[in-house]
Amino acid sequence: MTTLAKAVPPEDLSQYKGIMVYLDSFNDQLTRAAIEMIGVGRKMGDKSGEKVIGVVIGSQVQSMVKEAGYYGCDEVYGFQSPEFKMYRSKPFTDILAGTVFEKKPNILVVPGTKNGRDLAARTAVRVRSGLTADCMEIDIEPDTGILIARRPDYGDSTMSEIRCEKHRPQMATSRPGTFDLPSKNPKREFKTEIRDVKVDKNSLKEQILSFIPKGEEDITASKVIVAGGLGLGRPEGIDLIRQLAKELGGSIGVSRPIADLGWVPHDFQVGQTGKIVRPDLYVAVGISGKPQHIVGMMDSKVIVSINKDSNAEIFKYSDYVIVGDLYEVIPKLIQVIKKKKKAAVPQPSPS
Amino acid sequence: MVVLIKVVPDGKEVYVDPVTFTLNRSMATNVINPADENALEAALQLKDKHGGRVTVMTMAPPFAEPFLLECMSRGADQAVLISDKAVAGSDTYPTSLTLAAAIKKLGKVDIVFAGEKTSDSSTGHVGPGVAEFLEAELASYTRSLKYEDGYVTAERELETGVEVVRIPTPAVVTIITDSNIPRRATLRRKLDAMRKGIMVWSLNDINVPADWVGLRSSPTVVRKMLPFPRKDRKAKQIDESQFETLIEDLVKMKVINLEVSA
Repeated sequence: MTTLAKAVPPEDLSQYKGIMVYLDSFNDQLTRAAIEMIGVGRKMGDKSGEKVIGVVIGSQVQSMVKEAGYYGCDEVYGFQSPEFKMYRSKPFTDILAGTVFEKKPNILVVPGTKNGRDLAARTAVRVRSGLTADCMEIDIEPDTGILIARRPDYGDSTMSEIRCEKHRPQMATSRPGTFDLPSKNPKREFKTEIRDVKVDKNSLKEQILSFIPKGEEDITASKVIVAGGLGLGRPEGIDLIRQLAKELGGSIGVSRPIADLGWVPHDFQVGQTGKIVRPDLYVAVGISGKPQHIVGMMDSKVIVSINKDSNAEIFKYSDYVIVGDLYEVIPKLIQVIKKKKKAAVPQPSPS
Repeated sequence: MVVLIKVVPDGKEVYVDPVTFTLNRSMATNVINPADENALEAALQLKDKHGGRVTVMTMAPPFAEPFLLECMSRGADQAVLISDKAVAGSDTYPTSLTLAAAIKKLGKVDIVFAGEKTSDSSTGHVGPGVAEFLEAELASYTRSLKYEDGYVTAERELETGVEVVRIPTPAVVTIITDSNIPRRATLRRKLDAMRKGIMVWSLNDINVPADWVGLRSSPTVVRKMLPFPRKDRKAKQIDESQFETLIEDLVKMKVINLEVSA
């Protein structure tokens, strides 16, 4: 279907209108990343006056279609088939690319989940347009309709602004957790259309044999994260941050080198190649503050850093900094928290 | 089988010795993209079991040659370097296009392996892009795979769990980082690789017109580099005597709740 050929830009860009949002789902429920992307689309829609078009694929899409409208889509197209309970690379590309050819959106944003990235990359080639991955900022120039996609660069502390001015749709993905969730309004008005897709089982080449759900803790949902970096120095440091995390009712995180060392699984890794987190409290322990890590946690509400280097880069991104040996600081912090907790427990009132 | 690789700057500027836990700071050098090493290993394991030929391929300037020889020293049968000045500045669309054209030139290929992403630009677009150009099935984010009678069974590691998919060949499989332990080169293979050398193809060799690739035929353009955004945070220094106040502040700001977790 996609012959080897260059990406020739369309001649008339003015017929490309609207901001399409692909709505990634799991078990017929929108993923958090999908809802984040509706918010991104909505903001651009409000700024430019373009409508926000949701596209959702699943086995039962009715409730997801409604949700998408409540969160901010103006039009939602749902495609359903019993075969679409799980993501399948080729058929989903067929549907999304088909919808792009039909609706001619100016912009297409896709949640950067693993399946979303798979789909976006394939669709970009199918529709012969440009795709920017892992955007930290997604915006639109209201007068030109040009998508402004910004993503971090590697190794140095800059962001690149990437544009796709001549091809349509202008495509972008963002990692889950990059944006706040938009608010839900069940009174919003929106247009919906649900299509039942006839799938010829014999033409479905990809068979899903099994799915084993993961019991692993999802740190992106944690309100408090205590994260350790190379400054931990030895694996015992993980126990220490785990104790502090436990006291604060949170979970642990690590920077990339620690995950690379295998001290904890990569599920706990925060940063560009790990998870993007935005907890209420982020405690950075022995983390120097490389840009790759910073992009993963800089939107946390409050950031406290503990580092023995008083010039640590992470301090520039912190609300509170503690200069000192983490092996002395953390036990003392735990002590203080324990003391405060005792005081916080309501005493039985005298009768 | 084909394995797509990329030579990238070494991301591990700081390296901790796994035995002594001491820090080594080495100069940034070039390495084979880590996930691509795992992709090569996955292909070599299939070769060990089922036979077949493994071709390693990259699109890069001539400096990539020793890295291709390294892959041959580990067990790849041949290596292709697509090197052409015209590809400079290509984004993921023309890169996928060029690699797909080169794979087609090799003739019948059952499985194309690639790393899930590169450690430098980290888009993960090229594997799926190549699959699309080849009209092949795709199993992305694969941690292990089996081959049987023209089918690949792959374990895909997703955020929510592990999915096992079965797809017919021709298939593209992208392999996740650290999913296996790449084997070492052997001296005998190294000597063989040096003697054999690599194949160097230009765009002409793979019938890709020069105006299909490069900066000017890339849909995306890097417009400007901006300083990294920084929230205005106060970096208030706290010493030990202020730990109590700090915790009180955090409670007041409602970022922690000591009553619930008590």
